[in-house]
Amino acid sequence: MSNSSPAIQAINLSKKFGSQEVLRGIDLEVPAGSIFGLLGLNGMGKTTLIRTLLGLLRPDGGECRVEGIDPVANPLEARRRIGYMAENPTMYGWMDVGQIIKWVGSFYPTWDPTRAEELRKKMRLDAKVKVGSLSKGQTSRLAILLALAHRPATVILDDPILGLDPIARRDLLRDVIVHLQGQQVTVFFSSHLLYEIEPICDRVAILHHGKIIQTSTVERMKENIRKIVFQSVDAEKLASIPGLLDIQQVDGQYAVTVENFEAARPRIAQLTRDPMEVLALSMDEAFEAYVTGRREVVHV
Amino acid sequence: MLIRLELSSAAPIYRQIVNQVKYQIASGMLRPGDRLPSVRELAQRLPANQNTVLKAYDLLAREHLVNRRPGEGSFILDGVSSLKKSARLRQTAEIFGQAAAQCLQSGVSEKEAHDLLDQEFQKLSKGRKGHE
Repeated sequence: MSNSSPAIQAINLSKKFGSQEVLRGIDLEVPAGSIFGLLGLNGMGKTTLIRTLLGLLRPDGGECRVEGIDPVANPLEARRRIGYMAENPTMYGWMDVGQIIKWVGSFYPTWDPTRAEELRKKMRLDAKVKVGSLSKGQTSRLAILLALAHRPATVILDDPILGLDPIARRDLLRDVIVHLQGQQVTVFFSSHLLYEIEPICDRVAILHHGKIIQTSTVERMKENIRKIVFQSVDAEKLASIPGLLDIQQVDGQYAVTVENFEAARPRIAQLTRDPMEVLALSMDEAFEAYVTGRREVVHV
Repeated sequence: MLIRLELSSAAPIYRQIVNQVKYQIASGMLRPGDRLPSVRELAQRLPANQNTVLKAYDLLAREHLVNRRPGEGSFILDGVSSLKKSARLRQTAEIFGQAAAQCLQSGVSEKEAHDLLDQEFQKLSKGRKGHE
């Protein structure tokens, strides 16, 4: 997995809509065979990045490769190599499941009807049921099937768990493990629900205001990030801690969140001699520190 | 083998799996010779990344709590962790540290805390005997 070339690569990728910079120099590498979660609040550029990687949007700067193909120069070839599931997949409600499978299949030279039929059975989808009458969970299973049956090496899912209830979410994440990781397919997917997707990801990247502000394995992020509660400290010096993500003032005490406790420890040791408390964080708390953290002391 | 992931926990997923297997060994729910589900099977059941489950199984094997036999599966071994005593003490101290803080915060006295710990030991030893 580590030696082969990356499944997806972006170098300094930028995209503007009018005067609004939505992607501001994205650098990204998705290792082949990995399950990679792209995390960000709504409106931070997740869908724009995905549509650019698919060749549906033309970037204003930088470049990208998907399965070694430049989607700007060869959008059709790129889309043939990728399985794609759009956010809120719009489906043709009047077709039945069997018809839409045939219809979508006709666009792909590498479509495998046997695989499609196999997946349809595994995903418990009735061929005769109208697409319009499927539940949200069934619709997203159908979208996964349609993204998979041409045997792509990379699959891109745009917020696949959006709008699903907790049980349908778990089913979908399980489908990703069973049908995608089980087949060594690279999975790149976006979400705004970090704690839900944590168990299935190898790596995550946090996209915030058009930039990747952190990328790491899920484990390393959890093991490095710490909140330190000081009993006493010179507040003005807190901003000098390396990897600072957040400063909170609670009842006269300061709680500081750092990206990597080991790296910040020498500086922290200089700031106080009193005992301090060091706390680990959940994925949600870590995500919050990255995207809404205050990097300076706010005087109330 | 029942593993439950705590998604709001600060503990990494592989660590949660390792700790729950250790607890089940200590309580007698898992017995020497018992076979763990395959990596793929547990990954699909949770659901969790196969690499995460693999990492948990590797750690258990490194502590000689589990024997991974290629092509056959992973089996519970008889014995305590082969980690150095100092490492085992450190792991335990971390858990006790959190428990002590919880006691202080909830107004549980030292005496009560010791009694609770005794009860937990009794529960575990009962579970082990129950199987014999």
